[in-house]
Amino acid sequence: MIGYIGEFEELVLLTIAALDESAYGVSIKEDIEQRTGRSISIGALHSTITRLEEKGLLKSQMGEPTQERGGRRKRYFQLTNQGKAALRNIKALRDELWDLSKVNLAFSA
Amino acid sequence: MKEIKPPRLAQKLFDWFCNDAAVEDLRGDMDELFYVNLKRMSVRKAKLRYWFHSLSLITSYAVKKRKKSTNKFSSTEYSMDMLKSYLLIASRSLAKHKFFTIINVLGLAIGMSVSLLFIAMITFVSTYDEFHENKDRIYRVISKTNLGDNQEFARTPQPLAEKLKSEYPGIEDVIRISNELSGEADYDGKQIPMEGFFVDSQFLNVFSFPLLKGNATTVLENPHSMVITESGAERMFGDADPIGKVIKMKEFGEFEITGVLKKLPKNSHMQFEILVPFQALEILGLSQGFVSSNKRWEDLNIYSYLLLPNSFSSDEPERIISFMNKIAKGVYKKDAEFRATFDLQPLPDIAPGPDLAYEIGPVWDIPSFIIFGVLTLLILLPACFNYTNISISRALKRSKEIGLRKVVGGQRNQIFIQFILETVIVTLTALGVSYLFFAISRNEFTSMIVASQFLDLTPTVTTIIYFIGFAILVGFVAGVVPALYFSKLNPVQALKSKSSSKASKGSFLRKSLIVGQFALSLGFIMAVGITAKQHIATLNYNFGFDQANILDVELQGVDPNIFRNEFSKLSTVQTVSMSSGIMGAFSGASTWIQKEESKDSVEVMQMFVDHNYLANLKLKLIAGNTFPEQLDNREHFVIVNEEFLKTFKIGNPVEALDKSIMVSGAGELKIIGVAKDFHFADLRMPIQPFFFRYDTKLFNYANLKVASNDMHAAIANMEAAWKTIGGEKKFEARFFDDEIEEAYSVFHSMIKICGFLGFLAITISCLGLLGMVVYATETRIKEIGVRKVMGASSSTIAILLSKDYLKLMLIATVIATPLTYLFFDVLLFGEQYYRIAIGAFEIIASILLMFVLGVGTILSQTIKAARANPVDTLRYE
Repeated sequence: MIGYIGEFEELVLLTIAALDESAYGVSIKEDIEQRTGRSISIGALHSTITRLEEKGLLKSQMGEPTQERGGRRKRYFQLTNQGKAALRNIKALRDELWDLSKVNLAFSA
Repeated sequence: MKEIKPPRLAQKLFDWFCNDAAVEDLRGDMDELFYVNLKRMSVRKAKLRYWFHSLSLITSYAVKKRKKSTNKFSSTEYSMDMLKSYLLIASRSLAKHKFFTIINVLGLAIGMSVSLLFIAMITFVSTYDEFHENKDRIYRVISKTNLGDNQEFARTPQPLAEKLKSEYPGIEDVIRISNELSGEADYDGKQIPMEGFFVDSQFLNVFSFPLLKGNATTVLENPHSMVITESGAERMFGDADPIGKVIKMKEFGEFEITGVLKKLPKNSHMQFEILVPFQALEILGLSQGFVSSNKRWEDLNIYSYLLLPNSFSSDEPERIISFMNKIAKGVYKKDAEFRATFDLQPLPDIAPGPDLAYEIGPVWDIPSFIIFGVLTLLILLPACFNYTNISISRALKRSKEIGLRKVVGGQRNQIFIQFILETVIVTLTALGVSYLFFAISRNEFTSMIVASQFLDLTPTVTTIIYFIGFAILVGFVAGVVPALYFSKLNPVQALKSKSSSKASKGSFLRKSLIVGQFALSLGFIMAVGITAKQHIATLNYNFGFDQANILDVELQGVDPNIFRNEFSKLSTVQTVSMSSGIMGAFSGASTWIQKEESKDSVEVMQMFVDHNYLANLKLKLIAGNTFPEQLDNREHFVIVNEEFLKTFKIGNPVEALDKSIMVSGAGELKIIGVAKDFHFADLRMPIQPFFFRYDTKLFNYANLKVASNDMHAAIANMEAAWKTIGGEKKFEARFFDDEIEEAYSVFHSMIKICGFLGFLAITISCLGLLGMVVYATETRIKEIGVRKVMGASSSTIAILLSKDYLKLMLIATVIATPLTYLFFDVLLFGEQYYRIAIGAFEIIASILLMFVLGVGTILSQTIKAARANPVDTLRYE
């Protein structure tokens, strides 16, 4: 159905879903960096976003000009239905595997 | 407070890179991140981060993708229709501006003509020895010696070849070649000089010289067999079948023709007419005095070629080299006078290749190619530059077209392609014209080159392809600057026709290039003048003897006494003398004489002459007498020159008479006369110690003093006389002054070459100048009109318009004159011992010539413009 989605791609998709209306380049980058504690380059992020757009998992629209960026507009990203479906698929697969797991994955204090 | 901003350079780089792709949001992200980062870290770090971000974006897929999609707004694909349209526009614009088109085509054609010669030559020379089937397996052994300047020889000692053959297992065949086979070939009373090689019997199996008749493996088996080339056979036997015929060669014996070779290709570094088995040489042996049969390690006397087996490993040549050098170490003692090491040279590297001593044939050494290449560029580049110059200065005319193209969506690279295409059309047209020059000058050029008989410039398909490729390349070189310039034009400015200020931007560069062109042209013109003067002066130089009306006849083995008897009978011959060489162009024999006081040996030039010689050439004797007519011991007499007395400190001429000198190989000789110094050798050398001796056996030439009003009849008479004593041999006679002229033919060819190049250079410069002046006057036509209305005279306007160009030519003169002077004074004539100083006359004449041509070009246009009626030029204001 949908092509294979990589780990970073999944992360980006989920972050965009979490940020909802305010998902644009800088906010996505900051959010991921904060949550995962790893530093990502803006180039790598935009490359991934472009690929996701190509696959039809994301769509984007330009916002209004803002002062802080020297009058340059932001590009806001949104999940498409396909994107949502892809995320659901992954989650279903994960859940299934979690359930099937014979090893106890829960925290054992 | 100063606001902190992201690094400008990084921004610029990013914007430049993304060009007109939609990256507004990306730039925004970068800038926003910068301001966020400013709050978190130092300014320096934030800037560094910014750089990092911009670079990461530039290399990212996001930007790549967006750049790709921007271009979709206008087609960048080069459809046939678009190309057709470019061609149409180009041809229309070329046809519209006929004058500039002709200037451009002509200039480029002249500039390219020398290049075509160069390309044809390179193409031909690169095919050298390509026809050998085994070319990748054949290697030649060369010797690196300690002689002179560590001279390298194409020859090797003979025992080395034998050792390689018998002791080294990995070599399929070793071919020894000696080129000592040269002399008169005699068949049925017909004598023809032939040259060829002694070769090992498998020669024709190793090298691919195809046989018309005979079997390659067996033709050279019998030591008395001979293989002859098609052309040699034709000379010797005419149409008759040569197989089985027996040729006699004086020093070498009789040989039976067993095979006939197809005509040798010109692109072979070995050239020969006959082949004889090496065995024959070994049988003749040392007793006959053949150098090549000497088997000493100190004698580099044969050529050795190796054929390696079909699939030899790549390090095999290395191993053979070390094998040879191991032998060399054993043979040559460490402090021996002569030492050598050996190396291998793959067959294709022989020609073109390094210039070794005793080459077997033409090798086309690479430095001369480089010099020729530089000269070619010196002619070609000014022509390209003219095109660039004229195109840019005429930008105004085309700027509307380009502006409109841009407005309707023409991309930069499309406009670039359009102009390159236009230039390529011009260069291809120029190629057509240039090819005519090439076809005309081809034979003349070939004859100027020393090894011309080994050069064939007839164009082949390959050369034609190279020519076309070359024309396209020239199109790119000449067209790239205008094309870039036009593609960068701002459409708004272009449509408003106000871009002329930009066109004059590169004017310093343009002016300096004009200066360079004229300096170069002047250099060539001066070269012609200076060499011509040197040439004339050399020919009229007082050599110290009389050269008029002396005819030198080659004796070719005829007995001098018989010759004298026969030719003295002729009424046109006044006196007959004999000599071993030719005076003035002397390149001959020397001997060694010991100085008394130091026991050093000094080299002394010598020539053998008879009793009439000195009188015949009007050589002056200061003291003593010439050789006596009849006296048995006259072989023991010498006549020395003044320099001889000085070198050996014998004192004044009278004292020197009857003194004895020890001459190596001849014993004690008595001085019977002292001659005034004269130039026995050419003027490149100072006068050295010299003496005349008498030996009938060594006479090679008869010198006839001829007095006749009808030289033609006189020579016909002599030829008849020659028939009775010389038999079949051709009568070889030349006038003395012709011989001397030939000895200095180097001047002649230099005048020719410099004259040719100078002509091209000055033509190109004048064409370029013409284009510039025409354009400048065209653009200033209204200014001129106004000036005339205000009362300026035609002459002041002409001067005003010409002034700038005159200044440029003056600068060129100031640069070129001292450089040319130095070049000739120091570099070229430094070798000539008796030279004529470079005079003011030829320098001034050259400068005048350049100015006449240059000023003529300028005035032809400026006067026309100055005379124009202001009513016509101002009518439309």
